[in-house]
Amino acid sequence: MTYLLEGKNLNKTFREKAKTTIALSEVNFCLNKGEILGVVGESGSGKTTLLKAIAGMLKLDQGSLFYNGTEYTGQKPRQTGQFLQMIFQDANSSFDPRMVMEKSLIESGRREKNPERIRQLVQLVGLEEELLQRKPAALSGGQCQRMAIARAFYSDAEIFLCDEMTSALDVSTQARILELLRDLKKEGRLSAVFVSHDIALVSMLCDRIMVMKDGKCVEEGEISEVIRNPSDDYTRALLESARRQSIQEPIG
Amino acid sequence: MRKKKRARIKIIIVAALALLLLLCAVFAGVLAPHDPSAPNAAVIRIAPCAEYPLGTDNLGRCVLSRVLYGGRTTIAATFLLVFISFAVGTLIGILCGYYGGIVDKLLMRVADVLLAFPQMVIAIAVAGILNGGMTGAMISMGVTMWVSFARLARSHTFALKNEAYIQAAVFAGKSDLYILLFHIFPNLLAPVLTQALTQIGTTMIGLSGLSFLGLGVIPPTPEWGAMIAEARAYIQIAPWTIMGPAAAVIITIILFNYLGDAVMDYREV
Repeated sequence: MTYLLEGKNLNKTFREKAKTTIALSEVNFCLNKGEILGVVGESGSGKTTLLKAIAGMLKLDQGSLFYNGTEYTGQKPRQTGQFLQMIFQDANSSFDPRMVMEKSLIESGRREKNPERIRQLVQLVGLEEELLQRKPAALSGGQCQRMAIARAFYSDAEIFLCDEMTSALDVSTQARILELLRDLKKEGRLSAVFVSHDIALVSMLCDRIMVMKDGKCVEEGEISEVIRNPSDDYTRALLESARRQSIQEPIG
Repeated sequence: MRKKKRARIKIIIVAALALLLLLCAVFAGVLAPHDPSAPNAAVIRIAPCAEYPLGTDNLGRCVLSRVLYGGRTTIAATFLLVFISFAVGTLIGILCGYYGGIVDKLLMRVADVLLAFPQMVIAIAVAGILNGGMTGAMISMGVTMWVSFARLARSHTFALKNEAYIQAAVFAGKSDLYILLFHIFPNLLAPVLTQALTQIGTTMIGLSGLSFLGLGVIPPTPEWGAMIAEARAYIQIAPWTIMGPAAAVIITIILFNYLGDAVMDYREV
């Protein structure tokens, strides 16, 4: 079977003087078209390293990456950008502070510029057209994140790599962005790898989940299945802590 | 917002004064009442009067005319030197910061060595080797001047290249040249330009200092440092001969330093 995106036997170790950190160890994953794969784990579990490896932002020690069955291991972001786009955690800083939004969006396109399409995409993500003439500092975090989603669509990339894209937002903005992503998924427009430390958030959005710990994938499967019957102790602990956080008793 | 407005007003006032100074130098030919290089034995060391507002020097030349023409030499040389140092230093800094590697390490060690000595000591040594002259003085100052621009541009580039918007431009397939020209350079221009403004005063002191030591312009070309050097022998009998060029140097340096500070304040508000 050919997947939209596939990683086989991914390994990455960081060596810094006497310290060696295994960031990825024998990681395998796959992503189908129209599907969102959630990657969860605590800080330092290798989530962001995995995302950077997929994007070509860092060199793997071992392993292979495939897009539509064609191997692209070793390609740099300039090449991988043809089929995937990153959506960063801090959306404001993902836009040049000196450029108005329209220019930033135009810049992301690899084809001839199409201002009409930009306007359509901005409406699609629920923003007003006049925001295109503003600089990032004049937009809220949520508005910037929506612009980042519009930019990813404008780039014609098939896969979105979302790196903690909602963690810098307040709860209500986070909910609105999630709603937008869910709508886009329903319309079949979205295939993404969604990295987050928040398993509750991932369970609301993703089709499948991959739980990472110390650079290893400790559990992987359909989201409903993993949440109902977690097979790994670490997944159970993550779910338990998510439940505790959502039903916290008031202090005092 | 009020602070920002106040800072902007400060910049406008200081920039207007600096512009006035530059216009005086540019239009020296129109404003100067006498020929700055023509000696006149009849009016040697005359105190300031209606015909010679700043008096005359040891050779009977009008001090005001020489100060106005001297401004041309001093200001033009200073601006040219600051601009070249800014261009060369910023280019080196951006390339080192963006690409890193062995060339970066090598150039930064050269910069460290140059910074280990006082700028004026190196300038005097180099100007001495080059046998003086304004070009020699400018080269000797330029040997060390690019360093501050290079280090500033390098550190900013180093921080900027890891910004998410640069990564986004890479994902969009933009070339290194495009990223350097349209993202890195515009975003570090403000701090580097501020540095250039604050360098104007220092450079002017340096160039005038070299001329004062006989390593700058060759007489009789009017130049503020050279004029001070010539006049110091008569400081007790004709103090006006030194006051004109000295006041010009002081006012210009204060003005451009203040302009640099005002721009820096504006950016920080």
